[in-house]
Amino acid sequence: MTELTTVKELDYQSQEYKDAYSRINGIVIEGENEAYQNYISLGEKLSEHQEELNRLAKMESRHAKGFMSCGKNLGVTPDMGYAQEFFSRLHNNFQTALKEDKIATCFVIQGLIIEAFAIAAYHLYIPVADPFARKITENVVQDEYTHLNFGEAWLKANFDSVKSEIEEANRQNLPIVWQMLNEVEADAAVLAMEKDALVEDFMISYGEALGNIGFTTREIMRMSSHGLKTV
Amino acid sequence: MFGLIGHLTSLEHAQSVAERLGYPEYAEQGLDFWCSAPPALIEEFTVKSITGQTIQGKYIESCFLPEMLATKRFKAAIRKILNAMALAQKENIEITALGGFSSIIFEEFNLKDNKQIRNVELEFERFTTGNTHTAYIISRQVEQIAAKLGIDLSKATVAVVGATGDIGSAVCRWLERKTPTADLLLVARNQERLKELQKELGRGKIMPLETAIPEADIIVWVASMPKGVEINVETLKKPCVMIDGGYPKNLDTKVQHPEVIVLKGGIVEHSLDIDWQIMEIVNMDVPARQMFACFAEAILLEFEQYHTNFSWGRNQITVEKMETIGEFSLKHGFKPLI
Repeated sequence: MTELTTVKELDYQSQEYKDAYSRINGIVIEGENEAYQNYISLGEKLSEHQEELNRLAKMESRHAKGFMSCGKNLGVTPDMGYAQEFFSRLHNNFQTALKEDKIATCFVIQGLIIEAFAIAAYHLYIPVADPFARKITENVVQDEYTHLNFGEAWLKANFDSVKSEIEEANRQNLPIVWQMLNEVEADAAVLAMEKDALVEDFMISYGEALGNIGFTTREIMRMSSHGLKTV
Repeated sequence: MFGLIGHLTSLEHAQSVAERLGYPEYAEQGLDFWCSAPPALIEEFTVKSITGQTIQGKYIESCFLPEMLATKRFKAAIRKILNAMALAQKENIEITALGGFSSIIFEEFNLKDNKQIRNVELEFERFTTGNTHTAYIISRQVEQIAAKLGIDLSKATVAVVGATGDIGSAVCRWLERKTPTADLLLVARNQERLKELQKELGRGKIMPLETAIPEADIIVWVASMPKGVEINVETLKKPCVMIDGGYPKNLDTKVQHPEVIVLKGGIVEHSLDIDWQIMEIVNMDVPARQMFACFAEAILLEFEQYHTNFSWGRNQITVEKMETIGEFSLKHGFKPLI
């Protein structure tokens, strides 16, 4: 058991790394852009929280700029077309829910799923990032911890009336996340990020959020299993 | 509040437990799924000592499986343990025992350098390997089974396989200091550590496994091997006792002979009231009345409000600490399985 788990030496300037990075960097920037737009839209619906949601949106926008500079630093152009396609199904589901005033569904997609996905990815990225990107990502993670709770707090406050909507949103969107995780597996591996670690970290953040909102362990385990179902 | 971090014994076992607990979706999954599964708080329960004192406990399933070591998925194995520890801490558990392979993985991969788990900084004083109580119970099992079978320890040979490990070295210290054991055979892979142990004990014969076990009246098996080892029953002394203190406990399937008694080592019987189902799931023979001694250590430390990592680090277990935990053990209603 003594042979250990050493991190492979990464060549941040290799063609292979930069090629994978163009997609991953695009995904990260697009994720933050989605978050920006989603919080602005939610603010328009929830006027009593608009100020706070706008503040959140601005923070996400700052993060997007930070990640743009990471790509620039490595001389990589983010593949935004790929990234928009990558998020398209979650994006469409969010827009549909917004139109139908399904605020709980919106918070599940943005406040729980996208946030948990981001947190998991950033955690795994930090130890293997280039020094420039590491510093930026560390600061982003600090920020994320301060606001992960907004969607959670709203869902918790309205838990009894939106419980079944949360379950439905989970059923609809978790399989999409699984598919996204599968899609990103090969590129993430080039960046020394392993898919099973990504899934585990995601499930920890997501499960914790569901627990804080009011679901029991048994309910969380059952809800998590929906991720395994094919879309 | 005390905690127990446990895991199941194989993928097959995990699948059957998932089915039994009502998660058929998980029962169909292979090792890949378990490698990415998060830890889960499975059960909360109360424990009542024979003194009448009542405490609360939580059981955390780490989702680690021994196959992760056998297939060299070490990173997954490490994540399981660290994430389970982070969950225990988030649950505000004051003292948590690392059961089964958990403490072995922690030691072997030197996880003390991995304190920061996401937004949790692990406080190691909240955890115990439970090895002091396990070593105490195994040592008492040697003494009690010898007495029961009429083996006179002052004329007997005891072999400790895995002698340089945390539990093995503690058992050797106990046998040397507290019993009249005639011959002590020390078996382990690392010769340097064996010599150090021999020097510390001031006695003991260093021997390879094949030559040691045919000479022994009692074999204490505390080496943990995911894949196990072949034992030729014909070469063993008859009668002889094997105390299976390794993990998983599978010597009884390898050694079947009427004159070779295999005893599950490091298991305690108790007369406490505990309203849990988890012991059934981890395949205790008598789920309501037996448990791993390492788990019991967390219970004892909670009863005594001894919130510290009582067992921690390699080869720190003294006879005095074993006596202390032994007193707690008796006081609250535990005894070695015989």
